[in-house]
Amino acid sequence: MTTRVSDTCEFEAEVLAAVLQSRWPERADDSLRAHVATCTICSDVAAIASAVEDSREDLRANAVVPDSGRVWWLAQLRARREAAEAAGRPITAAQMMAFACAVGLLGACFGATSTWFQSVVRTMLRWVASSLTGFDVKALLHGAITVLAEHGALALAMAVVLFLVPTAVYLALGKD
Amino acid sequence: MFRDVTFTDVSRTDALDDCVGFVMDEDAFRAFYDRTARGVWAYLVRVTGSRETADDLLQETFYRFLRAAAEHQDEAHRRNSLYRIATNLARDARRRSLFRGAAGLTGDDIERVAASGDQAHATERRADFTRAMSHLKPRERAMLWLAYAEGASHREIADVLGLSPGSLKPLLFRARRRLAVLLGRAPGRGER
Repeated sequence: MTTRVSDTCEFEAEVLAAVLQSRWPERADDSLRAHVATCTICSDVAAIASAVEDSREDLRANAVVPDSGRVWWLAQLRARREAAEAAGRPITAAQMMAFACAVGLLGACFGATSTWFQSVVRTMLRWVASSLTGFDVKALLHGAITVLAEHGALALAMAVVLFLVPTAVYLALGKD
Repeated sequence: MFRDVTFTDVSRTDALDDCVGFVMDEDAFRAFYDRTARGVWAYLVRVTGSRETADDLLQETFYRFLRAAAEHQDEAHRRNSLYRIATNLARDARRRSLFRGAAGLTGDDIERVAASGDQAHATERRADFTRAMSHLKPRERAMLWLAYAEGASHREIADVLGLSPGSLKPLLFRARRRLAVLLGRAPGRGER
């Protein structure tokens, strides 16, 4: 029996058994004691095993765990609630899609009838056309500021709708 | 896995009508729970360093076990799954900063551990052990507890902790070394 440098030792299990059976160190074999005195692994096992076992016994003896019937009952309640929520999720998704379609339809009607909106679209198309021929940042900024000043409320409302709809869908579907 | 186990085979597929997608029926679950709950709770106390956190995570562990769509070959496999769930929950709880203090243990916990013993010497030993464990990393605490309190094999510990079996031995060696030094019962590195 010599000092080991690896991370395992063939006597580890024997030392552990001696500790757990309360044979260590007085009633253990002399040869085992001699080995432990020279083996880092086994001396560590001997050092910690009794402390771990002592703590294990103490914790298990003083453990206050809920009754198994109560745990089962609560688990069933929770599972049923989650199942009900999961069953309701497609309805919520359909409702959100219907809402998004309605908003889109309203937007389309608004776009078709609103002269404001049509002028905005025309202006934007002109910008795109002008930027393709000769990109002018100053003109672009000037045009954007002009449009925002004229139709700021409309742009803000559209931005809010565009943000709110995906957010509402996300919250409805990602609740769980 | 784990010693002191009564290997009662538990039916996974019978009587699922009364519950919602559980992996076992009530009788089987209650028997399994009675065999394992105290051990899982002790493991959670040691890994998280907090009895309150262990209380919170215990029921969640069993709930997730019930809902997991896992095929368990035998009792040992079932226990491995249970401890793996407990390990992941403890890790998540730590990430959510539910642990109180960097070491994971409060004075209350140590004091309560100390107050739970009958004899002064045993009480002091347990308090020392609790303090020493609190200085280890959660993964080190988990592997030491599984190895020496639950009697798990290296392969089972690696499975529970999500490590490769090859990397476990040196990690366990270092964790054991650290705990022995912290307990003051073995010389530190380079001292022998």
